[in-house]
Amino acid sequence: MNATRLFASLAIAAAALTGCGPKKPTLHLYTWSDYIDPELVTAFEQANNCRVKIDTFDSNETMYAKVQAGSGGYDIIFPSSYQISLLAQNGMLQPLDKSKLPNVTANFAESYKSVILNPEMTYNVPYAVTFTGIAYRKDKTGDTPIDSWTCLDSPAFKGRISLLNDFRETIGAALKSLGYSLNSTDPEELKKACDVVLRWKKNIAKFDNEQYKTGIASGEFVLGHGYNGDIAQVMLDDPENIGFAFPKEGFTAACDEMVIPKTAKEVALAHTFINFLYDPDNACKNIQYICALMPNTQAITKLPQAYRNNPAILPPPEVLSKAEVLKDLGKANALYSKIWDTIKATE
Amino acid sequence: MKRNPFPLIVLALVLTFLYLPIIVLTANSFNLSRFGGTWEGFTLKWYLQLLNDSQVWLALCNSLLIATGATLASCLLGTTAALALHRWNTRLQTLHYGLIYTPLVVPEILMGISLLLTFTAVGMNCGLHTILLAHTTFCMSYVTMTVLARLQDFDDSLIEAARDLGANAWISFIKVQLPLLLPGIISGGLLAFTLSIDDFVITFFVAGPGSSTLPLKIYSMIKHSPKLPMINCLSTVTLTLTFLLVLASRTLQNLKQLKAHNGHKNGVST
Repeated sequence: MNATRLFASLAIAAAALTGCGPKKPTLHLYTWSDYIDPELVTAFEQANNCRVKIDTFDSNETMYAKVQAGSGGYDIIFPSSYQISLLAQNGMLQPLDKSKLPNVTANFAESYKSVILNPEMTYNVPYAVTFTGIAYRKDKTGDTPIDSWTCLDSPAFKGRISLLNDFRETIGAALKSLGYSLNSTDPEELKKACDVVLRWKKNIAKFDNEQYKTGIASGEFVLGHGYNGDIAQVMLDDPENIGFAFPKEGFTAACDEMVIPKTAKEVALAHTFINFLYDPDNACKNIQYICALMPNTQAITKLPQAYRNNPAILPPPEVLSKAEVLKDLGKANALYSKIWDTIKATE
Repeated sequence: MKRNPFPLIVLALVLTFLYLPIIVLTANSFNLSRFGGTWEGFTLKWYLQLLNDSQVWLALCNSLLIATGATLASCLLGTTAALALHRWNTRLQTLHYGLIYTPLVVPEILMGISLLLTFTAVGMNCGLHTILLAHTTFCMSYVTMTVLARLQDFDDSLIEAARDLGANAWISFIKVQLPLLLPGIISGGLLAFTLSIDDFVITFFVAGPGSSTLPLKIYSMIKHSPKLPMINCLSTVTLTLTFLLVLASRTLQNLKQLKAHNGHKNGVST
């Protein structure tokens, strides 16, 4: 009979959904896509007789919206620095037990403390540090040194430049080129920065966040304002022709960190996992997979030459002092978006 | 008389806009270049990577499981709802019709957030089961509408005839009404399956730990994954399978029609 068959298949589907099999503890990660070496995850599962399930988000804001709406059950979340204070203020995080994280205490590279926003590390352990700089085609720039934001004004590269389509990054770059702070809220300084971006706008091809890597890889663009992780991938494919520069006036730095939310179920296992990721060998392996730097002293010394010499992965120590972290500006964000609208609307 | 070239131009443009992106995507799935900007040579390495990426397959399994479950559940609920709407013409049914119709016009984002709020309010943890419930909720309306359309052409005297000949209500439903409604139910089910498998907005809100579906996975990969070309491969595979399915169903239909036609001819000649 048709109806009975329908009920039977429904029952089977329901059984499949509830899931059978032996009960192992499951660690739930909420992170960016492809942001952890799957081999490490498998190794962790075997070592701790557990399962690791990974869910992914595409921006801090989507992650925040979901977790705040009450979607609990994640054991470790990987937000960017600036989102952590917001999570902590709303009582959504639990303090970490440092005694369970000996690898973090032993290996965390103190020099990177300047690029995290919560250096006391009550709720957070840095996972990976990222920077914004200028990618360039060595074969097209020739002898021109690429080391400053002023290159964006160069008539030689007119129409061959892409800037990030992100108001904090691009207005921030303009602020830095004028010698101001990235997090400036002074209307005078912002007015001047606006003029700089408008000047750049006449010289560039477009504002772009996703496709600029393609443009740099194919040689369509000569200069590309971009994130180090994106550029590192392109550079590993074509180390001959592509370079990455940290502008001498200063640049933005950001850090993705690991936090344990209040609603986590496997708190002890989550600590074990964070500690596992700070093991020098594991961190070294992971850096090579994610193409972003984990601030782990021992792991950095273990990196193969190709990675250690790639400035887009390991910035030279002398430039680190020029990095400035983007802070959440609260109400002043409106000021930035107004300037950005002006920039976008001006021909 | 000279033919107006305008319709032909429009047709060509529509076809280009529909199929050119798909062709580019398919070509890029074989492109050696990671970024697809330039053609750097033929490769199958993205397909190999796809084959080895357990995360993507897990997401696909979740998607298929939910789509199948939601289709079956919404076919059952949708058909019964349509039968009730068809049989009784009361004020309550007018309200019922309104309620069923609403999910078709309510913005998805509203539905997603309200479902999430409901689930958290009753203390339900999000996961595959909440996605299944959410998908059944909106798929049901589509099944109801297609079955209702089928019922509008339904000749009620057939049931009366069956009852006259001694069938009880259940038998007349199973033997007469259901087979006649089946095409409607199946097309509603197919619609439900398609809607469920590519829903992003609602799923995004009601998904919990360990229940990422394929659309969620793909969306989060677009911005940050170094393995982006894998998505091209996955789309190419899905596309090929879909085309094969459509082709198979068309061939089967043609065969059936041919057979029916021949049978009819033979019936007449003897």
